Amino acid sequence: MTRAIILATVFLAGAALMSMEMASFRLVQPEFGSDIIVWGSLISVFLVGLALGAYGGGRLADLGPAMWKLGAVLAVAGAVTLSIPLYADAVLEWVYPGQGAPLPTEWKESGTGASAAPVADSTKLSVYEPPDLRWPTLGAGAILFALPSILLGMVCPYAARLLIHEMPHLGQGVGQISALSTAGCILGTLGTAFYLVSWMGTRWLLVANGLVLVGLGILLVLGHMAARRKG
Amino acid sequence: MTRLKLAVLAVGSAVIGLVGLLAIGMAGQATESVVKYDRESRYYRIRVVDYPDEGRRCLHFSKTRGIQSSMVLEDPVKLDLRYSRSMIAALAYLPEAKDVLLVGLGGAAVPKFIQKQFPDVRIDIVEIDPDVVKVCQDFFEFKGTPNTHVIVMDGRMYFKRSPKKYDLILLDAYAADHIPFHLTTAEFVQLVKDHLNPGGLVASNLWEHAVNRFYYAELKTYQLAFPQTYLFPSGDSGNIILVASLEKDPIAPAELQRRAKAVLKGRDFGFDLADLIEKEYRLYTTQTNNEKPLTDDMAPVDTLRRENPKFFEEEAKRP
Repeated sequence: MTRAIILATVFLAGAALMSMEMASFRLVQPEFGSDIIVWGSLISVFLVGLALGAYGGGRLADLGPAMWKLGAVLAVAGAVTLSIPLYADAVLEWVYPGQGAPLPTEWKESGTGASAAPVADSTKLSVYEPPDLRWPTLGAGAILFALPSILLGMVCPYAARLLIHEMPHLGQGVGQISALSTAGCILGTLGTAFYLVSWMGTRWLLVANGLVLVGLGILLVLGHMAARRKG
Repeated sequence: MTRLKLAVLAVGSAVIGLVGLLAIGMAGQATESVVKYDRESRYYRIRVVDYPDEGRRCLHFSKTRGIQSSMVLEDPVKLDLRYSRSMIAALAYLPEAKDVLLVGLGGAAVPKFIQKQFPDVRIDIVEIDPDVVKVCQDFFEFKGTPNTHVIVMDGRMYFKRSPKKYDLILLDAYAADHIPFHLTTAEFVQLVKDHLNPGGLVASNLWEHAVNRFYYAELKTYQLAFPQTYLFPSGDSGNIILVASLEKDPIAPAELQRRAKAVLKGRDFGFDLADLIEKEYRLYTTQTNNEKPLTDDMAPVDTLRRENPKFFEEEAKRP
């Protein structure tokens, strides 16, 4: 029973993570544009989160592993995810406020369409280059999504540590956890891209993922209590 | 011995035949089209292809999905694609337009036309891809004038950050074959509206291969934001130009044609604008459809594009 709950957690946490990543693209694109920079930044944020989470989660797991602690991690991750829609717009606005458009100088002074200044070479095209948004995009992504992905990155090593005594073959056991997690990621990606975004929209999608994670957290705590009563 | 000779002969003729076929094939292709430019940019695969038989040069953003822009080599300022002519119908509503914004440069057909026919109009162009701007200068004879400004930026980011207002906004931002979702939503339409002068209007190119649910959702989104909406179905290319106006009252086709004739006075557009209006004019303001407007939170553009509207399905079921 304990084992089934933990394996289900691994699977669903993977699904929620990727679902959140897909939602993050939809959340950021209206403010930062449809650009490979946006996708690259957000994917990196999630991968950095997973790496840090795996490292920290492994260490945490060695300090007295307990199911309720993993449950607490998931519940916090869920609560953060749940609340992203509340402050997402404010964060995006703060990181890249309404300035920095490469506008011709004469517009800035007059506000509305003053006539253009005479140009020496009249057939030379006046082109205004865009601001560099690489680091702001990465920053906004990190503020919004680093914490939940760090917390979700903890799940795999922690689950492996919890199940270590039920693994006669360590390679097989860890491989199983890793495969389950990735299978969850695939489900989260395809499910979100194919169906969920058109069923519930970006913000409700984040709320739904948060609720799933909080639910998993509660399930793990209950499982812990049940196991203790038995043992 | 004879067997060997026969074999050599057979293989030899086969090789010659193949080479011949290949040569014919390549020659045939060469007269059909000449690739002038083919490079990956940050956003697209940009291809410039000449079709010498037709005397045209076309811009493609992918190998298979349609023509972004077309130029008659002997008359580079002529509006070649029919949809670009329908876009110009928007100018008939506002013969006095002074400030025009174009989102999505394409092959620069519309800005070149405006530069030549309306030299006093100030035209700003927002284009996301700097390579498209370069290609337009190198291959499509797009030159600067004191009244022309190009801003390299995402269309929506530009609207959010620019204080400038326009009489006419032309939307033609396509990534290969679809509008990016953040340029379809009610929030975006509101930004567009905020950048229009009183009485101003927006003309948006909706290019859909089949009439699908996205198309109706997009009409609804504009319909809710603007007092008047019109459609100009542009032939069988699948382009439909949506015109949304801040004018309180609708403009009848006869009145619009009268304005078009006034615009045409002393100008040679290379096509008959009044005739185009007569054929394409549709008032959409009071039409209804069942789709929900698109929002930033809920814009399932890709899903809707694959679905036919309900009443079309019912229509198809009828014997």
